[in-house]
Amino acid sequence: MANQYEIVVLGGGPGGYVAAIRAAQLGFKTAVIDKDKLGGICLNWGCIPTKSLLKNAEIYDLMKNHSSDFGIKIQGLDFDFERIIKRSREISDRITKNVEILVKKNKVDRIKGFGKLSSKNQIDIFNEEGQKTNSITADNILIATGARPKVLPSIPVDKKRIITSTEAMILPELPKEMIIIGAGAIGVEFAYFYSVLGTRVTIIEMMDTILPIEDREVSETLAKSFKKRGIDIFTKSSVEKAIVKGNKVSVTITSEGQKKELSADIVLNAIGVTGNVEGFGLEELGVELFKNHIKVNKSTYETNIKGIYAIGDVIGPPWLAHVASHEGIHCVEKIKGLRIPDIDYNNIPGCTFCQPQVASIGLTEAKAKEAGYEIKVGKFPFMASGKAFAIGEREGFVKFIFDAKYGEILGVHIIGSEATEMIAEAGLAKSLEATGESIIKTIHAHPTLAESIMEAAAQAYGEAIHI
Amino acid sequence: MDIIMPKMGESVNEGTIIKWHKNKGDAVKRDEVIFEISTDKVDTEIPSPADGVLSEVKFNEGDTVAVGTVVAILNTSGEASTKNKETISEPAHHEEEIKTEYHEVKKQVDETVHAEVVSMPAAAEIKSGSNDLIELTMPKMGESVMEGTIIKWHKKVGDTVKKDETVFEISTDKVDTEVPSPANGVLAQILIGEQETVEVGTVVAKLSVSGTVISKDEIITKTEDLSGSQKKEPVFVKEGIAQPAAMHDNFARTSITEYEEVKAEGSEKSGSNNGSRFLSPLVMNIARKENISFEELEKINGTGLDGRVTKKDILSYIETRSKTKPPQNQSSVEEIKKETPHEQSYEAVKAVPASYTASGVQPVYSSHEVERIPMDNVRQKIMQHMINSRDTSVHVSAMIEADVTRIYRFLKANRDEIQRKQGIKLTYMPFVAHACIKALKEFPLVNATVDGYTIVKKKFINLGIAVAVEPNGLIVPNIKNADEKNIIGLARAINDIAERARTKRLTPDDITNGTFSITNYGIFGTIFGTPIINQPEVAILGVGTVVKKPVVVEVEGVDTIAIKPTMALTLTHDHRLVDGMLGGRFLKSIKDTLESFSENEI
Ligand SMILES: Cc1cc2nc3c(=O)[nH]c(=O)nc-3n(C[C@H](O)[C@H](O)[C@H](O)COP(=O)(O)OP(=O)(O)OC[C@H]3O[C@@H](n4cnc5c(N)ncnc54)[C@H](O)[C@@H]3O)c2cc1C
Repeated sequence: MANQYEIVVLGGGPGGYVAAIRAAQLGFKTAVIDKDKLGGICLNWGCIPTKSLLKNAEIYDLMKNHSSDFGIKIQGLDFDFERIIKRSREISDRITKNVEILVKKNKVDRIKGFGKLSSKNQIDIFNEEGQKTNSITADNILIATGARPKVLPSIPVDKKRIITSTEAMILPELPKEMIIIGAGAIGVEFAYFYSVLGTRVTIIEMMDTILPIEDREVSETLAKSFKKRGIDIFTKSSVEKAIVKGNKVSVTITSEGQKKELSADIVLNAIGVTGNVEGFGLEELGVELFKNHIKVNKSTYETNIKGIYAIGDVIGPPWLAHVASHEGIHCVEKIKGLRIPDIDYNNIPGCTFCQPQVASIGLTEAKAKEAGYEIKVGKFPFMASGKAFAIGEREGFVKFIFDAKYGEILGVHIIGSEATEMIAEAGLAKSLEATGESIIKTIHAHPTLAESIMEAAAQAYGEAIHI
Repeated sequence: MDIIMPKMGESVNEGTIIKWHKNKGDAVKRDEVIFEISTDKVDTEIPSPADGVLSEVKFNEGDTVAVGTVVAILNTSGEASTKNKETISEPAHHEEEIKTEYHEVKKQVDETVHAEVVSMPAAAEIKSGSNDLIELTMPKMGESVMEGTIIKWHKKVGDTVKKDETVFEISTDKVDTEVPSPANGVLAQILIGEQETVEVGTVVAKLSVSGTVISKDEIITKTEDLSGSQKKEPVFVKEGIAQPAAMHDNFARTSITEYEEVKAEGSEKSGSNNGSRFLSPLVMNIARKENISFEELEKINGTGLDGRVTKKDILSYIETRSKTKPPQNQSSVEEIKKETPHEQSYEAVKAVPASYTASGVQPVYSSHEVERIPMDNVRQKIMQHMINSRDTSVHVSAMIEADVTRIYRFLKANRDEIQRKQGIKLTYMPFVAHACIKALKEFPLVNATVDGYTIVKKKFINLGIAVAVEPNGLIVPNIKNADEKNIIGLARAINDIAERARTKRLTPDDITNGTFSITNYGIFGTIFGTPIINQPEVAILGVGTVVKKPVVVEVEGVDTIAIKPTMALTLTHDHRLVDGMLGGRFLKSIKDTLESFSENEI
């Protein structure tokens, strides 16, 4: 039967399309529905386009601020903002096309349109005009509809002056001044990008540091670096209101108890995301929600309704593409009946791609203490790394948090060049339940930044060589 | 000139056009990219084979077409159009890919062929000579011994083995011993790896009497399997078969080697999950800190990948373990009686405190401060036995000094002659043993065992003698029916078991069913000690070194100081059964026997 499937995935983001491919590999007759291009936020309006924008900033930053360190003379250095934006869009375009091919190659039926659950086994498909074009049945439905930027009434997004991350990656011209509300990964990445290109950036964060979920030392190091770049940071500050006045937006904040008036030509709302749970039949079916996200069993990813599953951003934090993908794979493998261990949510790397980069896994020092661990901390600054010196990237450090009793790696925190690439080692070490000793005894190539991981672990045990 | 969808590798039959870099009518230079394709192997850019103008584009982006299909036409102005159909040049890495692919296929084919060529004659040999194979099994080492652990293979597959030469070494809960070969031959196959525990009677290896090396066949068959199917993992198979002798008693390495071994066993062992564990460094750390034995680790249900024991698993095991308090009262007696090694060790280990340091938190040492040595089998067993004894008996020690002047003089005068005539070097031990046996007859309650609320009084005396085995072992074989022997007979018996203990030739019967033990720490110069009872006995006699001491003696009503060779004797007895009075009388009896020694007892 053409319209009958064993698994139908609603939403083709990194959660959905990956789940669909895995399902097909496991022999399920599978379809994936998306109203837009495949790849979801991640490939269209998230990870990939932002990373390509950031590369421009890095190159420009290096040439503008460090070329003389390297003995390179540049005259008339300039950039073409329009081209920078265009490059990012082209990359996104190409990648999503590849995903369409990938999905097809894996014999997954790709259904374009807006999907709506009309029963627990049926999904109706609507075109852009809102007309029903198709109806398919499914033994299992996997919801992967993702999330969208959260909006507050006090900060009315008009997508011109008050914008979200989506508009921030396709601005027609470089803003002179930008206020970024929210200093999570997204806010901080845009802050770096625009500040390097010359925009005067102000960050407003409610918590007491930027990147508040990261280890305190890391956040503070990044804040210092940002301030050096000329980025203004207001922590412990909340936005009362933002009002568009002509070409400007005026923003009223309460900063540590005091009211302040700020103004900029663009305000970026980066306060977080909220699940896409409305308007496609969940309410009618009685799917249980939890703070605007779908509630699932985190072993099977089944909702309260049998046969309906959910994964990715739509089930809540940590809103990360790699988590969405893993949940998708895990979910269909469980449907298949494979015996696999549950996803360990304490072992998920989180990365922020500004410069210096920030990457971490596991518990922060504060969280480890809070959890009652007696800890051992090891730290190694890139300042002491030969490679870092050679490539002119001496900012930052690697920090290990160990459980003093059993030697477990509780957390690894890296700030510095290539931090986001280096965190993979810590992830593997943690998932194989390696200990500090295992890392110290693993030979790391010289000269690499990754040696700093080994040295940081060694430092915790008083065995570091280079500090 | 036709531009066709290029073939991107042997198995690639179609490709998808992802992007046209040139549109219809565009001028194209030679080597300039015209379009990009994606196949299930690679994505690649297709350059133009010549200068020209793209006159026709036949497919859209996203279309998938078969290899060889004309996708566009290039007008190369003039002579080119009349040329034979020319395919566009393939990108450089494409050829390379085909090459590698070819090599891979060829390698596979080579391997298969090789495997067949070599394996056929070998297989034939086995068939023809299959009844020259002798199966070596796990020997039965005593009535109650149901299983044994292979601790070391002394021979590798392919090694020549002489009759009576040691092939492997085993450890049971009673005894460690070396197993000799029943015949001359060549070790053809090893089925059970080091540190694996199997039931008595299990075939552990095969010996070829004619010397046929089926080891080769074994490897080859598996290699063949490999190239034929994906079932088996090459590395494991090869290493597992070829290097069993490289496995040692190291805790960490053991588990990994076992893993390899089990893989090598393949289907025969499937289902049994014994000794097949990868243990993460963290799990090993926790096990070490919490004194969890290898046997226990084996029993923990793993929830990780491939059934691996994770941190969570071991921590929750520790939690439930600490909740199950060691049994008390009558039940403890019953528990202790359990015979199987697993249960015994489990009981014993349960009693191990979570940590030996007072604070409960162990300091963390760096590797240059300490050396961490995994306990070998013997050490683990001694540990378990000691803890078990401590937690079973109520230990009380009493001490007495015996004046051994008479024996001293006798030995001095006769030792050499006895050695010459009887071939035996007489020491104090057989005298003590003899006195002890006499006391045991007099006070049979010391020659008993506690069984719940029942006292089991033994009518036979099997006298245990503690023997230190270098470098760090300890074993207590016993002399059966010791009461039937005289002093010289006891001397011979003691020498015999001590010698066999040191050369690992004891049988399980030698170490079971003892009724009372003697430990002679005097040989190290110790004057007195407080020994631990060898379960399930109820007392042990410690023998101190003989020292000459000034003692006050009464000679014709006058106190004077005399020099006497003196031996301190300690009796540690189980206060559950043997009270102070009995212990005291027992010691006194020994003292009297020793002090009143007369030559005609020999
Ligand atoms: C600016 C930005 C930068 C980011 N950077 C990173 C990063 O560097 N690393 C990282 O890990 N994560 C990053 N993220 C987060 C990441 O993009 C998300 O975690 C990820 O996309 C979630 O995947 P998903 O499959 O759950 O949902 P989504 O990617 O949101 O996909 C959901 C899909 O479902 C479709 N859909 C929804 N409802 C329906 C319906 N009813 N019918 C049909 N289709 C529907 C949508 O069109 C969409 O394609 C970033 C996010 C943003 C906004």
